[in-house]
Amino acid sequence: MRLYHVIPAIPALALVLMPFLPFVNTDSLWLGLPRMMVWGGAWCVLLTLALLAAESLMASQHAAEDGDRP
Amino acid sequence: MTTTLIFTFAGIALIGVLGFLGRRRPAADLAEWTVGGRRFGAVTMWFLQAGEVFTTFTFLGLSGLAFSGGVAAMYALPYIPVAYVMLFFVARRVWSMGKARGYLTQGDFLEDRYGSRLLGTVGAVIGVVFVLPYLQLQITGLGLIVRLVTGDATSGTLSMVIGCLLVIAFVLWAGLRGVAATSYFKDAIMLIVLGVLIFTIPAHFAGGITAMFHKVAQLQPGALTIHSGSNDLTWFITSMLSSAIGVAFITLPHSWPAIMSAKDPKVLRRNYTWLPLYELCLMFPMVVGFAAILVLPKKTSSNGVLLTLSQRALPPWATGFVVVAAIATAMVPAAGILVGISSLVARNIARVRNERGQFWVNHGTVVVACGLALLLGIFRPDLLANLLLLTYSGLAQLAPANGLGFLRRKLVGRWPVLAGIVVGIGVVIYLTFVEPARFGTFNVGLIGLAANLVVLALGAVIERAVVGRAPAATDVVAATGVPV
Repeated sequence: MRLYHVIPAIPALALVLMPFLPFVNTDSLWLGLPRMMVWGGAWCVLLTLALLAAESLMASQHAAEDGDRP
Repeated sequence: MTTTLIFTFAGIALIGVLGFLGRRRPAADLAEWTVGGRRFGAVTMWFLQAGEVFTTFTFLGLSGLAFSGGVAAMYALPYIPVAYVMLFFVARRVWSMGKARGYLTQGDFLEDRYGSRLLGTVGAVIGVVFVLPYLQLQITGLGLIVRLVTGDATSGTLSMVIGCLLVIAFVLWAGLRGVAATSYFKDAIMLIVLGVLIFTIPAHFAGGITAMFHKVAQLQPGALTIHSGSNDLTWFITSMLSSAIGVAFITLPHSWPAIMSAKDPKVLRRNYTWLPLYELCLMFPMVVGFAAILVLPKKTSSNGVLLTLSQRALPPWATGFVVVAAIATAMVPAAGILVGISSLVARNIARVRNERGQFWVNHGTVVVACGLALLLGIFRPDLLANLLLLTYSGLAQLAPANGLGFLRRKLVGRWPVLAGIVVGIGVVIYLTFVEPARFGTFNVGLIGLAANLVVLALGAVIERAVVGRAPAATDVVAATGVPV
């Protein structure tokens, strides 16, 4: 497993674990919204950023591999 | 009511016209009709892929789920982005295999990867049987929407008939291009309507979004947490995982034409990167559902809460727009499902050899499948309702076959995969209809999948013991000469 696999796995894990986190699955609000909605929404945004980072890492790694070839 | 009704039928007709505009001349062959000649760019792909997500369930079902289960509705938010992480990495390979080997359907993929026509046919039959109730759900949803806003059952039935006739007509004419053309309209009007509803309904009934949630926290704090009951923590996590597996391993048959139609795998990867942001719109109908918690009696039919609150908060012409958006979320996915089902029948079940014959079987299937769903929707709306419980759980049983097929190395042959599917489907059917309470709120699809994997692993061990090795990757390649 490479770094570009690990980076998007972090927000994916945060989304899957959402109902198990006691500070998220609670009846209090964040910013006037249910904490589950804020947590889920924020990690969806971060997932897009993580996939952009993964794409960039993959591109640079492939470019480096192509450069190494004779 | 008259204004709303005029908007309703005008909206149905407009969607039909847009579908026809998707193509100027009828498609010459099945590949052109099913996957648009594999020439779709980023924007079209975006709406096709997003279109699979936003259905009548999203529009009416999620607000209803938030009304009845509170934040339990949030299970629908993470599973698609989580699945996109896997699709981000495998879509290029799936698309490349499809392009090289000419796949149009999931059945084509299974048949080719395992060198087994039987497996291709079994996969296709499972796809058709388990997605047909989903098609009926869209059509029944269309009738329900009109009946709810007009209070007239005849108008509901008439809208189902007209909607089906138009969907059949534009799908036959334009195929996937018709689905794409209507998807633009559907997503545009849906976003506008949801964007308006998310502000107007909380403002009208509770003084704004945050004021509304503070009231919910005071009066119904249980709605803000996952708690015991039919939508408990077990239900939440297992439903989410089962759905994520179904999407990540492309087990829904109507997902295949959409992926195969991309002109370039980069388009797919770009969409999987940005679509999680689009998924945030799933929370809009949930907000409406929370408003309903404060306003409507607990016994209210949950599927109708969005339309009921819209009628109370908006003038008739604006409610008309809401109805058109809701109808679009029924008609457009129905069209996409028809493309998926008909190509499976023509390519992997009926197996007509000549291209022209295949084309006609495909088109006949569109008429028969939609007609069947319409008749059942009108006369026996409850007949397929039970089968609907099986849609995602049943299709998830194709995940191991698809997942192993994505790999470059062939780890297991056709028989263990087939045995796993049969056992998995058997377990799902048994637990759904014979002993539904056996595992409480645990998703039966995951239990079936566990049985499926155990049988598959045992089968693989036996296969290696008998054959002496894992099936070589070249077993299939040799047949076509195209390595993938």
